[in-house]
Amino acid sequence: MEKLDIVGQIVGGQVGQIAIREKGGKQIELGDLLVSKEGNSTLILQVFDLVYGSQIPRGTHELMSGINLEKVPYDAEIFEPDLRNYVLAFVKALAKIDSKDSSVAIPKVLPPFFSEVALVTEEDLKFLSRGDDSFYVGKIRSGSKIIDVPVWLPSRDVFSHHILIPATTGRGKSNLVKTILWHVLNEKNVGALVLDPHDEYYGRKEKGLKDHPKAKENLVYYTPNNPQAGANFLVVNLHSIRPEHFNGIVTFSDPQEGAIRTYHKVFGDDWISAILQERTHPNLEDFSKNTLAVLRRVFRLTLGLDVDSDGEIICYNRIFDAGSKGVKTTDQIVKDIESGKVVVLDTSRLADEAELIIGSIIAGKVFERYQNHKAAGELEDKPVVTVVIEEAPRVLGEDVLKNEGNNIFSRIAKEGRKFQVGLTAITQLSSVIPKTILANINTKIILGNEMQQERSAVIASASQDLSSDDRNIASLDKGEAIISSIFVPFAIPIKIPLFDELINNSKNETPKTKAKTKVF
Amino acid sequence: MYTFAHISDCHLGFQKQEKLQKIEQDIFENALDLCLKKKVNFILISGDLFHNSLPDMRVTRYAFRKFKELYEQNIPIYVVYGSHDYSPVSNSVIDLLTDVGYLKKATIVKDSENKICLDFLEDSATGAKIVGLPGRTVGLEKKYYEILDRESLEAEDGFKIFLFHGGIDELKSKATPEMDSMPLSLLPRSFDYYAGGHVHAKSIENGYDGYGTIAYPGTLFIGHHSDWEISTKRTQRGFFIVSFDKKIENIEFVSLQKAEFEFIDFNADGMSASKARSELEKQVENIDPKEKIVFIKIRGELSSGKTSEIDLGKIGEHLRNQGAIDVKINQRQFSSKEYSITPARGSDRDETIKNIFSENIGQVKIKQPELVGQEGVALAQKLLHKLKQPKSLDEKISDYQKRIEDDVNQLLELDEK
Repeated sequence: MEKLDIVGQIVGGQVGQIAIREKGGKQIELGDLLVSKEGNSTLILQVFDLVYGSQIPRGTHELMSGINLEKVPYDAEIFEPDLRNYVLAFVKALAKIDSKDSSVAIPKVLPPFFSEVALVTEEDLKFLSRGDDSFYVGKIRSGSKIIDVPVWLPSRDVFSHHILIPATTGRGKSNLVKTILWHVLNEKNVGALVLDPHDEYYGRKEKGLKDHPKAKENLVYYTPNNPQAGANFLVVNLHSIRPEHFNGIVTFSDPQEGAIRTYHKVFGDDWISAILQERTHPNLEDFSKNTLAVLRRVFRLTLGLDVDSDGEIICYNRIFDAGSKGVKTTDQIVKDIESGKVVVLDTSRLADEAELIIGSIIAGKVFERYQNHKAAGELEDKPVVTVVIEEAPRVLGEDVLKNEGNNIFSRIAKEGRKFQVGLTAITQLSSVIPKTILANINTKIILGNEMQQERSAVIASASQDLSSDDRNIASLDKGEAIISSIFVPFAIPIKIPLFDELINNSKNETPKTKAKTKVF
Repeated sequence: MYTFAHISDCHLGFQKQEKLQKIEQDIFENALDLCLKKKVNFILISGDLFHNSLPDMRVTRYAFRKFKELYEQNIPIYVVYGSHDYSPVSNSVIDLLTDVGYLKKATIVKDSENKICLDFLEDSATGAKIVGLPGRTVGLEKKYYEILDRESLEAEDGFKIFLFHGGIDELKSKATPEMDSMPLSLLPRSFDYYAGGHVHAKSIENGYDGYGTIAYPGTLFIGHHSDWEISTKRTQRGFFIVSFDKKIENIEFVSLQKAEFEFIDFNADGMSASKARSELEKQVENIDPKEKIVFIKIRGELSSGKTSEIDLGKIGEHLRNQGAIDVKINQRQFSSKEYSITPARGSDRDETIKNIFSENIGQVKIKQPELVGQEGVALAQKLLHKLKQPKSLDEKISDYQKRIEDDVNQLLELDEK
């Protein structure tokens, strides 16, 4: 058996709270992964609390401190201090690994009393091997130390069962999302719709997903702002919008709802233009002028639409078009997603509602198509789809769902996994998302969060027992995370790489070849 | 004030039937006659002038004759290759026309080492600066644009025209059939006019930041099988005449007289084969096909019987006997509950055909092993190949039929009667 670098010894405790005495000269950190070996198995433990331990009564400590502080002329030294004063680390057992076949089991017995424990090594974590269809999220972290063991998650399972990324500002959410999407771009196994309200993922002005070696083939970027060569103008024709796309996003009164349905029935795809241009029809005489005036105001505020002095429809954000532009934009996006591409929409110019309506049109179409693929038995051949949405409570919040009813995003959260369509929901406020939805999100990549209420919501819905990890989560630094998922053997602490490093590494790996192009 | 004509997708040589060939030629000649009559300063042709790079002599002769006429009238014609008349070794008939000076290629490559750097052609009479890139099959032209030196093109001043052949993502409409396309942002900005080809429906767009007018005149007549249905729906076919000075002043669409069409849209969904046959025959009787092109679209799923029980060949023959110029039948969305073809895809035409046979061979309930399974698929492919052989120019129809029959008999190891 290999020689272990012992850092402590099990001295007591109970299931979920095993006490380890730290060896003198060693320093166990909060969050450290430790191992205890017995026969052919290795027990992986994680530190969740540290306390002082001593064989000397507290009063004696206080007296000695007084002697030191008040400079009393006596020598005050503890006899054999390393033996009498120490640190106690409280750990929980995460997993038991059978070294013969690398099988992982949940520990059901306590490790032997006085078992020696060591810091985890790469060798101990060899069992976390990479599957065929997987994406990279970072390296294993033990406390603040990075172990050179990459963590890959199974794409198909993880994306279809939804991902939650809870964190407060400045904890590395964007870096994490970019890292995930960067690896998704390697293959065409995952189609992604990314609603990007900060226009930060593509990398218009700085490094971003556009720098991926396969960006030309697998990345599509839509923006209303002067697209760079290769990017698309984000223009959505008003004909693409149906009344149900407002569901759960904009609240309408019953008369307004009625007017919308009737206008849609009478004017078909041209219903929004008809309301804006105050077109008349015998079937529409029942609606009051006030109702229609309110609807026009709603369209102005949410979609930026108005009518000019010639009666022509204008769009202040230039994203919606009442003419012939953008007729196939949403269909094209759906097609790209279905072919396993990552589609990033720069929605920075849009009001919240308009962004969600565009997301709703596309997500709704994808969902519908995947339902059909399932009915036709073709689902297995299709890439899994994820819809990346920032500030997820805008569509998944308890009050939103209560007041404005269900929307396509909440439907995906509840039913999407049957059809291989999932959400990647990013939020600072997990606590306002209903428990039923949180429970349906089977992977949570938890970043640092100082708000106790938010930590509790995440802990309560995690796939592993994180009840003792409250302090761990609170103390996560930028770029540190814990992955709790039904697709990992235990809650894995990770260090997410810096996105710029990923780009630099990929540049080193792929030498550029130049060939003269013949043009005729 | 100056004017130019913008023509595209003539697809000369697409038609195989004599009367349709005549219409195709008439429309083309009519278009150029109108250009002469309207005294345009120059003509732009945005690709797919011919249906293939080396069309037959009949097409080549009338094209040369007409272009010579314009040449003698000092009306320059600027062209780019389309995906159909593209030739990687410059042996397209377009190159021949360029060599004799009847056409001017708008693609002048200064350098293509790291980036594709293009030079402008300046039209001597108007001062318009013209530059263009060719189209390629399956959207391969996108690669050109990805390494195009846009900056130098954008920096040029004056009245500028960009000639191209390819679909643009943002300009696709519901009527646009599925085709390869690229983002608008790949075209260089700051041109006054973007003369597009490849898209067979007329469209004209303004209002994209940094871009002038982006126009597709569409095909002059028919350049693809999907055009038949569109043409029957009163779609205007023609070309643009653009007036300009320092900027575009006016754009006029010149609609060309086309053949008369008759369209039968027959939905057989839920009908038995015999009912569908009698209903379709009734509709056929209700039209006057004389001197018209008849387009029959038959769709839906029969509740019983086979699709082959409706003898569409016989219906076509009947209409031709009634004086129809030609009859085109689309039955791609026609199937039967008893027997339907399951679609399949492949990376190219041959693979698609093979996959469709493989998907559907299971429906064949025959005991002969050579007709089922993979052996059956291989035989079906060979049979299709034999049946696709065209008639040689100097071959009589009876000899052609005999040749095909012999080939098929030999393949199927059948004895002649």
